[in-house]
Amino acid sequence: MSSSHFISGRHWVWLIVVAFILTLFTGCKKDAKLTVLDPRGQPSGIFGRVGAAGAGMMANRNPDTQPTLSHDELVPLRMAPRLDSLDNKTIYLVDTGFAGGKEFLEEMQKWFSENMPSVKTVVHIKSGNAFVDSPELWPELKKKADGVVFGVGG
Amino acid sequence: MEGEFGVPTAPMVTARFADYVIRDGHTHGMNLRWTFPPYPVAWVSRETLYEYVHGDDPVTGVPLMTEVIDALTKPLTESEKNPEILERPQRPRLLEPDSETNLQRLFLENGWTDGLPIVLPTEERVAEMLAGTDHDPQEVVGMMSVTTHEEQKEYTVEKVAVNAVMAGARPEHLPVILAIAATKHPSIPSSTGSYGSMVVVNGPVAKTIGMNSSVGALGPFNYANSVIGRAWTLMSINFGDARPGDTFMATIGNGLSFTNQSCAENEEKSPWEPFHVRKGFKASESTVSIFRGWSVLTLGLGTSDGLLQSTKTFNSMGTYTFVMDPLAAKALKEEGWNEPGKLSEWLAEKSGSPFLRPEGINFIVVGGETNPIFHTTDYVHYKTASVDKWMPEGGIKLDEKPLRMPEVHECEDGLCILGM
Repeated sequence: MSSSHFISGRHWVWLIVVAFILTLFTGCKKDAKLTVLDPRGQPSGIFGRVGAAGAGMMANRNPDTQPTLSHDELVPLRMAPRLDSLDNKTIYLVDTGFAGGKEFLEEMQKWFSENMPSVKTVVHIKSGNAFVDSPELWPELKKKADGVVFGVGG
Repeated sequence: MEGEFGVPTAPMVTARFADYVIRDGHTHGMNLRWTFPPYPVAWVSRETLYEYVHGDDPVTGVPLMTEVIDALTKPLTESEKNPEILERPQRPRLLEPDSETNLQRLFLENGWTDGLPIVLPTEERVAEMLAGTDHDPQEVVGMMSVTTHEEQKEYTVEKVAVNAVMAGARPEHLPVILAIAATKHPSIPSSTGSYGSMVVVNGPVAKTIGMNSSVGALGPFNYANSVIGRAWTLMSINFGDARPGDTFMATIGNGLSFTNQSCAENEEKSPWEPFHVRKGFKASESTVSIFRGWSVLTLGLGTSDGLLQSTKTFNSMGTYTFVMDPLAAKALKEEGWNEPGKLSEWLAEKSGSPFLRPEGINFIVVGGETNPIFHTTDYVHYKTASVDKWMPEGGIKLDEKPLRMPEVHECEDGLCILGM
């Protein structure tokens, strides 16, 4: 005996209507809009800065020991007046401590001697690692250099 | 040099980092005149460096030395004379409502996940998660950045809960995740060297939330270990603002970063004081300890001579953390090493390394006593922080029926298979 003997024609219509509503409901649920929270942190106005002279590399990776600077303390950088030309000037080529920097700057020094012989160049190796301050260097450069090339980061 | 000392400067960084330094300059109000030589500069021949110097800047197409000379001599432009500091707007608390499918896509395509599916942080789920602590949802927990210089991102208890939900955690895990967040350490700091991290939980909380410290503890076999470690990575991405190639420059990346070797110390089987007690906490306190390094250097067998051999064979940055099975620790104790601190002193002295200090050598006891091995890692221990301060007054908020993966089948006498 087939199942149609138990369900009349009117019942079939009702069954189809219910199935249609269920399908609609399921579809709506799938496309229902959810409200979710933003997972990202908020700008704090706090920036990290280079470590103190002599600080280890790890210390600058430690939020408890790395010096910081607030947005209010950030001062837009006023660039120094430029030189009229490099003729007869002293340019310091400062190796900041990344591998290959010194060798690159030595090649640059050769370029100057071959192409702009009036320019005096001095290759200087910054003290400490690349991530810490070298407070003795800045006044020395101010005193001895007309311009500075810093490199090579990366 | 430019501002304070008035000396014109031509900074150089390889072309690989051009976007990075220009963007950084904008956030700091520095319009520096960069020159970008090709890369790499390290470990290439003199001939290659010669070609770099005599060639063009690959970013601008201008001859490299012309650019250097211009950087030092060309008159300043108006924007260089009047630099501005970029201010980033605050982010909204809620995102635009959308379907689950679209939101999953939004999170993935914006880089707010670890690439695996997440649990969407709906208001209801986050509210439920916040039942895991008594702290005010808007209380600031800390700030972090994966870089050492970009603007740090601030996060609240609620933000931590959002990322905990995303990781698949439950309220019972929230105090541990908050303790990790409070250290302010990202698990994936942006270093070209590609850091990896580890988090070790000590104290009663580990057992309460069902953490694994036994067989396979550092592997994918425990719910709490996995979601806690994953939450740390999601927080590092979202609070630390990790964007590969922009702010995150780890050249290879690190497979440890998915769940950060999250585990509990096997205090029951360890012959020594728990790690957190050695760092000044009480045994009854619960803590998280944060480690960072690059890699697991080798598998070791044996006792103190094996440890010493590792320190002599494998170069590290002056730090070692030995992750050892309780059987290895017990063997060391039988040798007479009752205090790990003394063992650290001995290793530092005998290794012959001028960089190695006793405080840079640590021991974590974890594992299920199936082999007396140790893993030598180059991890440095950065911090141990309290979990207890984040716990609700009534203790850890457990679900009515807490979710647990199968427990480690302990079969110490080897007769379990016989049903004895």
